[in-house]
Amino acid sequence: MTPLSRSRGPARVVAAIATVVGLLVLSTGLSSAADPPPPKSTFTVGVVQDVDSLNPFIGITVAAYEMFQMVYPTLTEWDAKNFAVVPGLAESWKESPDKTYWTYKMRPGLKWSDDVPLTAKDAAYTFNRIINGTFEKTNFGNYVSNITKAEAPDDTTLILHVDKPTPIMQTLVVYILPEHVYSKIDETAIQSYGNEPQGGKPIVGAGPYLVAERQVGQFTRLVSNPNFYRGKPAVDEIVFKNYANPDALGQALKKGEIDYANDLQPNVFDSLADVPNIERKSQLYSGFNELAFNTGAALVDGKPIGDGNPLLKDKRLREAIGWSLDGKTLTDKVLGGHGSPGSTIIPPMFESLHLTPANQASYDPAKARQLLDAAGYRMGPDGVRRAENGARLDFRLFGRSDNPFSKRSVEYIKRYLADVGIATTVTLISEDALTEKIGQGEFDMFEWGWVVEPDPNYQLSTFTCDSRSYEDGGNVLAGLSDSFYCNPEYDKLFEAQGSETDVAKRTEIVKQMQQILYDDWPYALTYYYDNLVAYRTDKFEGFIPQPDPNGSYLFQYGTWSYENLKPIAAGTEQSSGPSPALIGGIAAAVVVLGGLAFVLLRRRRAGVADDRE
Amino acid sequence: MALIGAPDVAPTPPAPGRGRVLGPGARFTVSRLLSSLGTLVFVILFNFFLFRLLPGDPVALYTRGRDVDPEIRRQMQARFNAPIAEQFVQYLKNPFVPELPSQQFSIPVWDVIVPRIGPTLLLVGTATVLATVLGVWLGVRSAWKRGERFDRVATTTTLVLYSMPEFWFGMILLIVFSVGAFGLPGIFPVGGLSSPGVDVGTFAGLADVAWHLVLPVFTLTVIYLAEYALVMRASLIDEMGQDYLQTARAKGLRDADVRRRHAVPNAMLPTTTLIFLNLGFVIGGAITIEYVFSLPGLGSLTVQALRGPDIPLLQTLFLLFSAAVILANLVADLLYARLDPRVRT
Repeated sequence: MTPLSRSRGPARVVAAIATVVGLLVLSTGLSSAADPPPPKSTFTVGVVQDVDSLNPFIGITVAAYEMFQMVYPTLTEWDAKNFAVVPGLAESWKESPDKTYWTYKMRPGLKWSDDVPLTAKDAAYTFNRIINGTFEKTNFGNYVSNITKAEAPDDTTLILHVDKPTPIMQTLVVYILPEHVYSKIDETAIQSYGNEPQGGKPIVGAGPYLVAERQVGQFTRLVSNPNFYRGKPAVDEIVFKNYANPDALGQALKKGEIDYANDLQPNVFDSLADVPNIERKSQLYSGFNELAFNTGAALVDGKPIGDGNPLLKDKRLREAIGWSLDGKTLTDKVLGGHGSPGSTIIPPMFESLHLTPANQASYDPAKARQLLDAAGYRMGPDGVRRAENGARLDFRLFGRSDNPFSKRSVEYIKRYLADVGIATTVTLISEDALTEKIGQGEFDMFEWGWVVEPDPNYQLSTFTCDSRSYEDGGNVLAGLSDSFYCNPEYDKLFEAQGSETDVAKRTEIVKQMQQILYDDWPYALTYYYDNLVAYRTDKFEGFIPQPDPNGSYLFQYGTWSYENLKPIAAGTEQSSGPSPALIGGIAAAVVVLGGLAFVLLRRRRAGVADDRE
Repeated sequence: MALIGAPDVAPTPPAPGRGRVLGPGARFTVSRLLSSLGTLVFVILFNFFLFRLLPGDPVALYTRGRDVDPEIRRQMQARFNAPIAEQFVQYLKNPFVPELPSQQFSIPVWDVIVPRIGPTLLLVGTATVLATVLGVWLGVRSAWKRGERFDRVATTTTLVLYSMPEFWFGMILLIVFSVGAFGLPGIFPVGGLSSPGVDVGTFAGLADVAWHLVLPVFTLTVIYLAEYALVMRASLIDEMGQDYLQTARAKGLRDADVRRRHAVPNAMLPTTTLIFLNLGFVIGGAITIEYVFSLPGLGSLTVQALRGPDIPLLQTLFLLFSAAVILANLVADLLYARLDPRVRT
């Protein structure tokens, strides 16, 4: 190799680097030059759970439902203030005098985001598709079980025929879908339809925001819908950004990469105290956790199953356990104080439906011991009580190994029970494995929880005799019930509330049912837990809590906050992504290319040296 | 003191006229191919039963808390709980493409897997290449300057980095360089692979991805680096005492050339094995790093599939990972034979 070519080697590399860097810089210049419109306002929510599917017939995660209600409207909605039923697509609705059908008057002049008119025909199509479908019933079946047929006599009138009166007709969480889109997807195709935005165009919807871009595992980007009937929202885009771990969520908020962090862990929540421009809130949430008892596992037809300890069929024993649990300490130690001790299965967040029992149990081990003594459970020599037949009070208690709160809860519960003379063997297993054990009735007690909807029907149904496990083709299959509670009186009230269309009368029945459950102790509720959130105060304002004043800002029953959010005037210059991105990208490219150049140069030099020898 | 032992044969310079040993070479290739195929068959069979042993009833899990139509439930029951023999036959028809869709995503498993391959290859592939190049370089220099300051500093540093938990190291980098600490501004993003609304096909998009990858790739490189550096250093030190190096020096070769042309090629053998073994694991992703930096790779997908468990997805992922390792091993074996003809016989 000649000296000339030797010097050309590195020169070429340098030139290559210069070209690449030049192009990168040029592209920055070009992209910023081609961006004359004012900066878009983007509200970014950090979440730990990803959307499993954008298809409303498939998705089941909370994240997916947030997308559904953003994109697809419902006939009626739940008010932000106190969960009162308010108009959605339907302006008004009423039950026919003979109680055989409901008439919904739709808003006139509604339009889908692609300007196709949204009429009662779309609504009728959606309901009929679910009623006549099989797969389509998976997510929405419980709302249409009493509806026999949907009709749209004209563009603004929807008629739903029912086979019996039901209050659920006022709170149907059935997302109204565009017929002109979904009619092209048949019952087989819908089972794997992704409903992903195609070719950069948002999916067709009629809610405040439309999904415009989705990178699985990374983010979902929504753009505001100019055709939304309550008006185009003020914020242009909403992004749900996924973080794989809770610490990253906190860090991203500190950095300002996200504007709102949902579902924080207590330690992350605490670490955000006193950070400038960040506000934290421990918001009321519609969930509770419980210690559930096997009250005598049996199939729907009454045939006993499983191997539950028969002693737990005794209500007096379960009640004594209820008095031995210190809900206050559990809330403090397990949740870091972000919740409140539990009582009945409708959380206090639903103020009008929640019953505060007059005979509410509190932590009182002396009373628990007294109840146990009175019920004939005498203390044995080993500190464990005995039943009258001599059986030790020694129970299997399952906690969920995949949930840190559950693990801590069962340790406390074990101690509380030991304190009153009841032994427990704690086993931690995965939620999947526990689900199977529960369905087969192979447990004594376990710790788990529920998230309760504003309509109490579903939660109440988990305690009916018909919700117990059942047999099909020789297999025992789980129903909704996980305590195997069965009480004909309760079932009768369940039927009654399920056909009572008068709100006040129904509320009365629902409270009565909570009282029965409270007295019978199929569950000992441990706590109602809060949702821990934190958000930037320097960029957006206008959050609306549901319920007022301590409820959720986002992930509500409705989209109230998203519709009301506004950028704070001073903070409108959004941290524009590309510029630091480009600097970082160029830096990274330079490092990599520099490394390459270094290696190449060395090779060249060595090569020249070789030739010399 | 090689960490990965080379074949226990006295080193000889590469045999001249490699073309002549084509006969045994082909035999070796065929035998390696067959043995890899055997391993693959075993993994395919094992894979089926492995996931049938996991606890949990997929139907119960899927239907908990949902009002599922009895008809749908029966269909799911028939699909998920079919007799084991029937499932096995179905599985053998095409083990890499399960008949059932992913349970969590309700779409064919490969539609779930394919978008995750890119991020994983970008992350782990880049880090492996960088770590290999830098690690080998560091190892060679350390060995050659054994006992000198460069060696002491490099070996201590790599050992410290090697023993550092990657989760912790990643988190520290994230806090310092993403959020900003000690007066440093936060330069890099906290998580993800690209920014919303940026087209990955453009220069700005590529720069955006590079910007997102800086911290995770750096973390992984630093962690992997040590392994290569230490193995390379050890095996080169083993070589350095050999007589043939003296011969080379006696011929009048410069020290750098003795190292580069005689010592390093022989010392590279254990490192080659290591490189290819690790390449096989690239596809499996780096679960902890993907977790810390919220990257949507195959590692995080595996974790997600385990919650469920999403059997069709898990099954395919494990098969994919095993196949990648088997393939990488095969390539390593064949390459090793080319580099060191002694193993062919």
